[in-house]
Amino acid sequence: MNVASQMAVSPATTRAGHPVSSAKPPFLGFGLGLRAQHYDEILNGNPAIDWFEVISENYMIPGGQPLRILDQIRARYPVVMHGVSLSIASTAPPNFEYLAALRDLARRVEPKWISDHLCWTGVHGKNLHDLLPIPYTSEALDHVVNRVQLVQDYLGRAIVLENVSTYVQFSNSEMTEWEFLSELSRRSGCWLLFDVNNVYVSAFNHGYDPRTFLEGIPADRVLQFHMAGHSHMGTHIVDTHDHPVCEDVWELYAAALKRFGWVSTIIERDDHIPPLDEIMVEVERTREMANKILAPLVKQAG
Amino acid sequence: MNDLARQQSDFQRAILTGDDSILAEIPDSPREKRETLFGVYKYAYGSRLVEAMGNDHKLLHIYLGDEMFNEMGHAYVAANPSLHPNLRWFSSSLPLFLKSTEPYCRYPVLSDLAALEKALNDAFDAEDAPVAAVADIAGFAPEAWAGLTFHPHPSAVRLDILTNASAVWLALKADEDPPDPVRAEESNRILVWRKDVTPVFRELGAEEAMMWDEAARGIPFGVLCSMLATYHDPDGAAARGAGYLHGWVTAGLLAGVSGGD
Repeated sequence: MNVASQMAVSPATTRAGHPVSSAKPPFLGFGLGLRAQHYDEILNGNPAIDWFEVISENYMIPGGQPLRILDQIRARYPVVMHGVSLSIASTAPPNFEYLAALRDLARRVEPKWISDHLCWTGVHGKNLHDLLPIPYTSEALDHVVNRVQLVQDYLGRAIVLENVSTYVQFSNSEMTEWEFLSELSRRSGCWLLFDVNNVYVSAFNHGYDPRTFLEGIPADRVLQFHMAGHSHMGTHIVDTHDHPVCEDVWELYAAALKRFGWVSTIIERDDHIPPLDEIMVEVERTREMANKILAPLVKQAG
Repeated sequence: MNDLARQQSDFQRAILTGDDSILAEIPDSPREKRETLFGVYKYAYGSRLVEAMGNDHKLLHIYLGDEMFNEMGHAYVAANPSLHPNLRWFSSSLPLFLKSTEPYCRYPVLSDLAALEKALNDAFDAEDAPVAAVADIAGFAPEAWAGLTFHPHPSAVRLDILTNASAVWLALKADEDPPDPVRAEESNRILVWRKDVTPVFRELGAEEAMMWDEAARGIPFGVLCSMLATYHDPDGAAARGAGYLHGWVTAGLLAGVSGGD
């Protein structure tokens, strides 16, 4: 089932008061991060998932079963490519070998969009395989804007960048994370992937109200939501993506729906992957909450 | 170097070497000290990479047990920082590391087991290619056979291992107790490839291994048969060669066959 193709009302027209760029990709509905543990259940069943987000690097390989599976998935569902190694904020020289592989995969998959994270993953030729934080300075902003424009020129499309969970901040930051993201999107033209869990995690870790972050993001630049779980350590939260979404994050999702409207959403689980029917409960909850919160607004707008 | 580049360099150095000078630029949070918060990145670095190694080397992990695998994994991480953006390739050097690093090099079954798992992993997502069928070879006239050359499937890899690591692999895969490690009298010749979507391996006799290795180098069938004749029973060499060839084709080991000029 693909809700996006069945919607009688274009989501663009439901966002009264929120200008939408004509180039903005379509609303895809309520989806799931594709994981190998679910391949059989997806391909042999007909789960009510509107679309899949795939980890780009898992398919940036020469051949074999993963790419065959991906071909089958994309033949049946809209697919979005989500990377973890673009390292858009790194001061290392751009990795054109990586970009070429990403572009090749995009030609094969024809994703609705390509996303990654506002972070860096390494310098001096090394890769730490982590989503590392940046200082929110004008110097960093200029650097990332230039990198985003370079990547967008290379890929021939606007990219989508996600806010990451962070555990530290830098004393030399000159602006908030949401101000940085807003300005980055405005200047570079990139879209934003609003990870509701990551906002919650970073807000707790740094002691601010997650709703301040939410209110600081321009509504018309948000293309996607992530919903995920985390591990609470008491004094800080670690973004493990290995638990069900907690109630606080569901509450923040409700607030995000009210602010951003119909936004393509996925449940993202990276570890302790449960059976598909278990995670489908969360996918259904994203859908039900959106219908409950946004349907009355559509009626009011009409 | 600009400030951002310098900060990133310092941040990375703190994770890789423990030089925490970057902490001077990081405030405490309202609830926690900066050392603890930065420690999340330090811990995640090693644990994420060792976890990736465990995914690539599930049977080596079982063989060593959690504690020893974890210790070995962190030693590998310290010696081999990742140089590739894709985690898929991080553990590629593990067989070499185990072969050349104390105390692991004292137990050659470890590097052999890692090499076998690596070859199977590489076969799993190796480049796709068409698979030659028996009909592709049968179509050549008998007089053309001497000039035939063979193209291995891109997933096919030959390994020579010096221990009974393949028997250890089979036992662990079957959830059985592995045999005691034994150093072999001569090389155990293994051929790894992907059959449809599944990586598989089998052991080769000395004669078939020689023929495969030479065929993979582009030596034509007629010459291969002459080489087989030097092993034993010269009169039966062509039949043995044809038999090996038939086995390769039916196993999906060849991507193509070319006729001679």
